[in-house]
Amino acid sequence: MANNKLKIALAGNPNSGKTTLFNALTGSEQYVGNWPGVTVEKKDGILAGHKDVVIQDLPGIYSLSPYSLEEKVSRRFLVEEGPDAILNIVDGTNIERNLFFSTQLAELGLPMVMAVNMMDVVRKNGDKIDFDRIAKALRCEVVGISALRNEGGREAAEKAVEMAKKTVVERGPGKLPDVPHVFSGSVEHAIAHIEESIQGKVPARSIRWYAIKIFERDREIINRLDIGVGEMKHIEEHIRDCEKELGDDAESIITNQRYEFIDRLMDKSLALNEKRKGKATLSDRIDKIVTHRILALPIFILSLCAMWFLAVAENGPGTLLTDWANDGFLADGWHLPFTTHECREEGTYKGMEFEDAQGEFAKAEATVAAWEAGEKKASIEDEETGEVSEEWDIDEAAYKAAKELEEPDPSKFGVWVPGIGALITGALEKGGVGDTVKSLVVDGAWGGVATVLGFVPVIFIVFLFLAFLEDCGYMARVAFIMDRLLRRFGLSGKSFIPMLVGKGCGVPAVMAARAIENERARRMTVILATFVPCGAKTVIIAMFAALFFREQWYVAALMDVVGIAIIIFGGIALKKTRFFAGEASSFVLELPAYHMPTVSGIWHHTWNRLKGYILKAGLIIFPACVFLWFVMHFDWSLNLLADEEIEKSILRDIGSWIAWFFEPLGFGSWQGAAASVSAEIAKEQATATLGLVAANMDGATTGSHIQALFGSVSEFPKLAALSFMLFNLFVPPCMVAIAVTFREMGSQKWGWFAVAFQLFVGYVLALSAYRLGVLFAGGGFGVWTALALALDAFCLWAIFRPARKELA
Amino acid sequence: MNSSSIIVLVVVVAFAALAVWRNLKKGAPCECGGACKSCRGCSCCDSQGGK
Repeated sequence: MANNKLKIALAGNPNSGKTTLFNALTGSEQYVGNWPGVTVEKKDGILAGHKDVVIQDLPGIYSLSPYSLEEKVSRRFLVEEGPDAILNIVDGTNIERNLFFSTQLAELGLPMVMAVNMMDVVRKNGDKIDFDRIAKALRCEVVGISALRNEGGREAAEKAVEMAKKTVVERGPGKLPDVPHVFSGSVEHAIAHIEESIQGKVPARSIRWYAIKIFERDREIINRLDIGVGEMKHIEEHIRDCEKELGDDAESIITNQRYEFIDRLMDKSLALNEKRKGKATLSDRIDKIVTHRILALPIFILSLCAMWFLAVAENGPGTLLTDWANDGFLADGWHLPFTTHECREEGTYKGMEFEDAQGEFAKAEATVAAWEAGEKKASIEDEETGEVSEEWDIDEAAYKAAKELEEPDPSKFGVWVPGIGALITGALEKGGVGDTVKSLVVDGAWGGVATVLGFVPVIFIVFLFLAFLEDCGYMARVAFIMDRLLRRFGLSGKSFIPMLVGKGCGVPAVMAARAIENERARRMTVILATFVPCGAKTVIIAMFAALFFREQWYVAALMDVVGIAIIIFGGIALKKTRFFAGEASSFVLELPAYHMPTVSGIWHHTWNRLKGYILKAGLIIFPACVFLWFVMHFDWSLNLLADEEIEKSILRDIGSWIAWFFEPLGFGSWQGAAASVSAEIAKEQATATLGLVAANMDGATTGSHIQALFGSVSEFPKLAALSFMLFNLFVPPCMVAIAVTFREMGSQKWGWFAVAFQLFVGYVLALSAYRLGVLFAGGGFGVWTALALALDAFCLWAIFRPARKELA
Repeated sequence: MNSSSIIVLVVVVAFAALAVWRNLKKGAPCECGGACKSCRGCSCCDSQGGK
């Protein structure tokens, strides 16, 4: 993409607003890129209005040192690949600290524009920055911008493009760029000597940067340049002279003098508002509450509860929209809201509202059933409580009238908008497609996909909420809170960052663990990261919350809490084994100032994740459901089966063979087994498979079929449903995440260990929840209850046993 | 089985096969939203042939 185009690298510290600016500059044309062989994010996008200019967003870093992977990758790109210009984003509210990186960038000798971001906040604070002075000192252009408010970013980018074009024309071969000299005389003298020694070995424009790195004794650079022993000895003498004179090691000298230079520059260029000096900022005041030692965790749990309340609480926005999607938009159709739903056609229902007509028909059905059962009274029971809500006398005339009453056709009432399912069915019927193929399309392919797509509103709310928490700066605090908590148990908050990523998807969560240098901590993070219920697992939670826990929405939030609890207690247990023992690594986290996120920023985050979910429905769930439909409609002799012959199907047989494994968990039916195994394709496939199986059952709705399914295998369907949910949420993740786990673990042995550990945790949780639940519900004590108690006791021992001294 | 049934059957199976082939070639999509730093595991970054 970027071969013949002008490349502008967007570089800056983390949380300086690079991504916001990147999105503003590139708009919809941006895509997420990767570099072969490395795992650090880099985004490429075309600068809107400039088809020949590529904006390259580098990972947020603090320096061009070779310590972290991000730094290595960024500097490799900046030094070796060489963009045509650098757009350095600097946080104006923290300019002093940000300039440390800027001085290094300036030394690269590339045309540079410094965009001082968050100028709206700087102005609001009453602070003043002298751009001209900074520009003169760092030999670059400086402009003030506000990426969040879309102010000045474009001008900065245009300036970078202009500089890049100008430099290409003006700078002749070998001509050295004008770069800032920030060090004291003796250091500059040594650097000048090193520059002489490496001339011709490095690009002329970056010779100063290389010289400084050699002065710092950067092994990677020294090894790459292949400097002769004699020459290196000579260079080393200069470095040692400096160290002797300044009484410090070379690297510290460079760092200290850089900061001294920045201090001097800031004294002259930054005028802080006198009134603000010494006062706590709004972020500080908020942090006093949200990172409070006692309140922090309850606030975090409360925010999770708020998210799940909006997503799955009865009559909440998530549930209402999901019901509409599942029963209307994706199924038969829906009545246009805010219009009358009166019957338009002549007949019994003429002028009646649809809901009243449904009530009338329900009464007629009850009358017929009661009369045929020899009763003289008919009644209607409340579905949930089972209490009689209405009772009336019946006679033969009432029975005959009821028998003749037709079910109300919703399309005859009010303004009816047909759903996608109805449109597909209609089209197939119109085309004369046979029942079997119709079943494949409607019940199989579309049925499964629609089950998953039906939960888009819930997923949307969850992703929207997470995007808000991320963008406003709260998620960084969560990592800080968790670090404080995890550190008590010898774990590092560093491990929690991948777990935060894992709320969206387990795959990047496992990958994000690469940033952890300590191998033991990295392996442990890979094992634990996927216990945070990801977006796909959210669908399982949403379905079961809707079908079994409508009034107990907090069960959904509880699943997140259970995930976090497993990470903490699982981590403690693993840390006590010799494979994972060791000190927690240090964790440096910069807490960004709180700010109100922009609508476009939140939408961007939410849509990117939601798009993946919708794509999955088409690319994974669709083929999986087609396959499952075939194995559900054919026997081993490949004879096509009718709907009522499903019990002879291949799927039924396979499900039955493994159902014993799920028997102790309370959902030991072939359907439950098939759903749980198919969930390894993608976690939401569990819901699609249940929907597919339910589509072939007699009954009113898919939801009622699934309820009936759990009711048929357990006396305690709610407990069986909870067990199913726990099992599918906390056993090994989907096969893509498992494959990534194996790769990241670096060995088959550790890959299998991760899978075995996750399977053990998921199974024990589901077994304990079901068997102990049954025990407390009066279902009695059995062998499985004893096993559940024994396994729980083992887990408690693993968590609370004293750590061996040599391992602590 | 009539001709329209055969056509629909072939279309459905072909689309399913196409989806599987695409996933094998480019990686399966996920909800990372681009957070995946390398696209060896998912295809959110497939536009640059990350597989």
